[in-house]
Amino acid sequence: MPRSVEIPLQDDVLITHEDVDRAHDRVRVSAARAEHGLSSQARLFWLLIGPGVLVMLGENDGPSMLSYAATGAKFGIGFFIPFVVLTFCMAIVVQEMTVRLGAATHRGHAELIFERFGPFWGWFSMIDLGIGNFLTLITEFIAIRAGAGYFGVPAWAAVLVALVILYSALVSHRYWTWERITLVAALFNLVFVPVALLAHPNWHAVGHSLITWKPLPGFNRDTLLIVLADIGATVTPWMLFFQQSATVDKGMTTKDIRFGRIDTTLGAALAVAAALATILATAPLFAHQMSAENFQAAEFAQALEPLIGHFGASLFALGMIEAGIVASITISTSSAYAFGEVAHKPHSLNLPVTQGKSFYSVLSLCAAAAAAIVLIPGLPLVYVVLLVNVVAVLAMPPALVFLFMLVNDKEIMGDLVSPVWANVLSTGVVLVLTFAGVLFGISIIAPNIFAALGGN
Amino acid sequence: MTPKAKDETHDLVSATDRNLVLSSLEHGQLVKAKKQDIPRRHLKGLELVVLWALRSYLLFMMAVVVYQAWTAAR
Repeated sequence: MPRSVEIPLQDDVLITHEDVDRAHDRVRVSAARAEHGLSSQARLFWLLIGPGVLVMLGENDGPSMLSYAATGAKFGIGFFIPFVVLTFCMAIVVQEMTVRLGAATHRGHAELIFERFGPFWGWFSMIDLGIGNFLTLITEFIAIRAGAGYFGVPAWAAVLVALVILYSALVSHRYWTWERITLVAALFNLVFVPVALLAHPNWHAVGHSLITWKPLPGFNRDTLLIVLADIGATVTPWMLFFQQSATVDKGMTTKDIRFGRIDTTLGAALAVAAALATILATAPLFAHQMSAENFQAAEFAQALEPLIGHFGASLFALGMIEAGIVASITISTSSAYAFGEVAHKPHSLNLPVTQGKSFYSVLSLCAAAAAAIVLIPGLPLVYVVLLVNVVAVLAMPPALVFLFMLVNDKEIMGDLVSPVWANVLSTGVVLVLTFAGVLFGISIIAPNIFAALGGN
Repeated sequence: MTPKAKDETHDLVSATDRNLVLSSLEHGQLVKAKKQDIPRRHLKGLELVVLWALRSYLLFMMAVVVYQAWTAAR
């Protein structure tokens, strides 16, 4: 069992309202656990799912769905179908570690890095997280704006409605209510599945590509950019910080780790279904040799309209709006959690506004600032969308090394340190991400070397 | 009243709630318990080498990304 978190309490210890809210949630979990049978297991599952599904569907955000759409339009059905499945397997390996860390230590990720490794390394990871989160938040509002643009909704109205939804999820000041509202919104990510069905994909080709990974794309800078964008669409630093903090805020303990794993795997399964559906939905653009260079959500929907009809194109645009809204909720929450953890300010969705002023202020201001930026006319927003997933991939190896070190730290994890196989897999993930980043760098700054490696 | 003491008056809860909390939450889950720092761990040679290598890698790659964005914008 973890040792450092077992701090003896004095009799006069103060109990906060945040503790009381969390205790009410835990009472329901304990009651479900005390019963036997399938229905109690189902109830336990219902009570304990949340952070994993939210983080996975939250990561199917605006730039991610645009990356999948660009993948389908540029490469059709082939190598990228199994490749995207593989990236979600990587995400499960990584995110499972945050569940264990959160349940064992009851501390958020930023807090653990700061306290265990000191502020010097803590600030580095906070800067990475802050920059990455803010850039990504901007792209969420770009996706919302672009998706709403398909229906003729003005940008200011789209952004305003998104902010209202984001703030509405917070009004209960209860983690549980916030989680359920966001989960319902996140499930709309599956709207891409009917869009894919309307595109009448060639299921034989899908099955063939899943088994053989063929046809392979050419080895060039465009392919590399899509590879990086698709990896960045599934594993990013904010996911580590969010899932661990949400696990702690939900009050999960070491007894709940099994359900945390199920939650994470279920989230990955749902997210991969939506991701593959998006590739399949835009694959007809590849078959019809339509160029999708620099497409945003509205352009994809317009280009798909002759192929899948107005209803299908509308669903596609709605999916982009949903992806942006859910991710703006989860990413701004991740920033607020991390800020509270390092500033030693109260940080929980169970806090009333009076006690969580800094938490709710950071959450609200991050979202409002990102929303305001996308309304500035003439900004080259398309570059931000293209590069945000690449930046996420580049920032991931340092973040993963901290995670790796924490989850193997016997002093805080006790018997819950990672087994050898999990360490081998996570080391493999770090190496793959670093290799992909280095290859991308070579393709930009030394195209001759890239060509010598077989690229063109 | 000090600011800290003022803040803590907001946290007063009933005896029933207090018992509920103490019986259903683990000690480490309590807000007050979480204010205790986790002991610092000093990084060793190889760990520092890896962390610095990855930090350098990230800074260099960010410069590459900025360069690419700049050339694409032109």
